Amino acid sequence: MDVRDTVLHGTALKRHSEPSEIAGIVGLPLETVERELARAVETGRAVMHNDRYALTPLTDVALCSRYSLHYGDLRENPAFVQPYEAFERVNVALKQVITDWQTMSVGGKKVANDHSDPDYDAGIIDRLGAVHEQVEPIIKRLAAQLPRLAIFGKKLLAALEAAEDGDHEWVSDIRRESYHTVWFELHEDLLRIMGRERQE
Amino acid sequence: MKKLPIDSVQYQRPVASPLVEATLGLLREKIREAWHESGQEWNHFAMRGNDSLVTAGMMQEIEQRILASGHRFDWSASISVEERPEIYKPKDGAVGDAENFMFAHPDAPTADADEQGRALRGVGDNVVRHNRDVTGIARYIRSNERVLSYLSEGVPPGTIAVIDDSGGTLTAPIIDQFAGVICAGGTVRSHLGILTREYNIPCVMNAKITGIRDGDTVTIEATAAAKTAEDYQNNVERTARVWLVGEG
Repeated sequence: MDVRDTVLHGTALKRHSEPSEIAGIVGLPLETVERELARAVETGRAVMHNDRYALTPLTDVALCSRYSLHYGDLRENPAFVQPYEAFERVNVALKQVITDWQTMSVGGKKVANDHSDPDYDAGIIDRLGAVHEQVEPIIKRLAAQLPRLAIFGKKLLAALEAAEDGDHEWVSDIRRESYHTVWFELHEDLLRIMGRERQE
Repeated sequence: MKKLPIDSVQYQRPVASPLVEATLGLLREKIREAWHESGQEWNHFAMRGNDSLVTAGMMQEIEQRILASGHRFDWSASISVEERPEIYKPKDGAVGDAENFMFAHPDAPTADADEQGRALRGVGDNVVRHNRDVTGIARYIRSNERVLSYLSEGVPPGTIAVIDDSGGTLTAPIIDQFAGVICAGGTVRSHLGILTREYNIPCVMNAKITGIRDGDTVTIEATAAAKTAEDYQNNVERTARVWLVGEG
């Protein structure tokens, strides 16, 4: 994928983010990303509010039309497709773990988890650790075919370790690269590579 | 996947217009697929008859993809808008968002107004139970123009987003500013369910609603029991109600 499409791709993944965050997810130098984003805004490919960028809809359509060019080989490569399918299976478990993190049963009813029960929370973070053990070798196999995907493994591990150290915002907070944020972006990346649609 | 000769041209600059870039990109994607499936050499494939290489069906699919992104075409003759208003920017120049659009789910339960003035207009799966119901102004979020205007000007207080995108693709940057969310797709475990719980915003997924227009005042029964993983497994119907309380 050329530099222009790599920056557009990162902007699509990060949805309304700052250049540094976009640079971080695709592994390009900040000045390269800033230059391409400025060009994208000038030519109507992206919009900017408060130094946060988003693709215009037609540009996302154009980008998606080129994924079969960039990733057509990966879509037919079992060494990539098999770990991708394994990721989709672990994804089901991850979504349940995050849902259980956000909710708990009180008197038989599901209510928001107010995080006042450290044992309950510790149990969920253990399950998150188990999910991570499953996904780590999957990301290694994906990155063996597409090296930039290794970034997601590092970011997931950093978020997990921060959560295990007691800063629970790293599980699912949306305003940071929490475990769930990074996971969602990895999933989005894989769906785009494979030319698939999100199931739910 | 094979590359077309034009895919390998070096140093070509992107075309000036985003619409042309999207159209050409989609067309090349279709030609690549057709060539790939043909199993032929390029020369054979390209010369087998130029009138069959690009079909009317292909161009219709390309138009659909472009319209699905929310894009509406500029027009030069007003007859175009009269003939196909759904694909063009509106004549009066207004943002063509959902003024008259509404979800009309055939299975949505409805009822006349109760003693509190609440008329049942549907149900959805509650993502988590809240301490009180939420009332606000329903706004369909279906166009990029509306998202961009909310991004730059902020979401009006008390807005309840009505959407059909359970991935939250369109609404993610502004989701924290809504008073509530009604989503026609997904489940309580969908990305949007996770986002709204994180922000403590009442939300129903898999909503079956009917007869709610943009600007109407609605109430979501956020105090209803949340739908659980077991409920989905066992096909248990456990829903929160959505009421119309005032027409906009």
